[in-house]
Amino acid sequence: MKTFLQGFAVGTLALILLSLLFLGTGLVDIRSDVVPSPFVSRFLDIATHASVRRHAPALQSPLPLNDEQVIIAGGKLYLNDCVGCHGEPGKPSKFGSTFYPPVPQLGQTSTRYSEAQIVWIATHGVRRSGMGAEGTSYSDPEYWRLAAFIRRMTQLPPHVLEAAKAPDSSTTSSQPQSDEKK
Amino acid sequence: MKNFVIGFATPFVLIPLVTTAYLALGFDDTRSDVKPPAWETAIMQPAVRAAVKRSAANLSAPSVATEDSIIAGGKLYVRGCMGCHGEPGKPFAEDRSNYPRIPQLPNVGTQYSEPEIYWIIKHGVRMTAMSAYGPFYSDEQLWSLAAFIQRVDKLTPAEIQAIQPQKH
Repeated sequence: MKTFLQGFAVGTLALILLSLLFLGTGLVDIRSDVVPSPFVSRFLDIATHASVRRHAPALQSPLPLNDEQVIIAGGKLYLNDCVGCHGEPGKPSKFGSTFYPPVPQLGQTSTRYSEAQIVWIATHGVRRSGMGAEGTSYSDPEYWRLAAFIRRMTQLPPHVLEAAKAPDSSTTSSQPQSDEKK
Repeated sequence: MKNFVIGFATPFVLIPLVTTAYLALGFDDTRSDVKPPAWETAIMQPAVRAAVKRSAANLSAPSVATEDSIIAGGKLYVRGCMGCHGEPGKPFAEDRSNYPRIPQLPNVGTQYSEPEIYWIIKHGVRMTAMSAYGPFYSDEQLWSLAAFIQRVDKLTPAEIQAIQPQKH
């Protein structure tokens, strides 16, 4: 038993030193335009999803999330600020695909997250990804409108999407500087 | 001796298993507005630097940067990079939205050489908000951007003036 513990201690030390050596000598591939193995990608995805489920509080929405006006208002925010990376129905973002982890194309694949989880992600961001914390950029009701839209984006009736896309003079002010302007 | 070998091998199985379980069960905090433990930063920042230095070791700029190409790179910076990386001539404002933090280049400068900057812009950095710009810029543009960013914390007022967008 004593020799087992000695071996265990030496093995632990060796593993830590090997890992630090691997990282410290620059052997990790850090390019975001080269995708790691599907196994790694899948695992990171699972870990992020599990973390959000564990940490995001199950808040109740103060707004009726199935209300068309709520969804349209959220769509206007989305199409102003999020679409550059996250894409829209029928139009995935090429820019979003140049990140690793790749930016979820919310217009193509339905999200697995609930509205409360979407509010939490948008507010706090996702560490080690391109998703920044939006913090106080939006008010609480704005976050819920955004979440209502994002949650339903792939199955919206066409007229709702049209209404969200329609120009609206009152909401086009104060657009933050986007880094991919044409 | 046999027990020692078994003891030595056990952590090589156990530690990856425990780490995988910890992550897969969602115990890791993913919020980018909360700083991760200091040891993670202390290990990963040098790891990224080392990886860049190793990967870009065989690259060299096609020519020495001229004042014209630096200004051309500055104009690209103002259009494409400034939104996240900061505006030349403005006071330092730390990024608190992303983790890893986005370096505010005009204030902190860069420790990377031109070929290393070229490589980072072209390929992006995994597990950060830095995406790959290879598909969006020509090689010439990437090199002029790299030349500009290498000097971005030492610009003269005239250079800052010269990179501002033209008013029509």
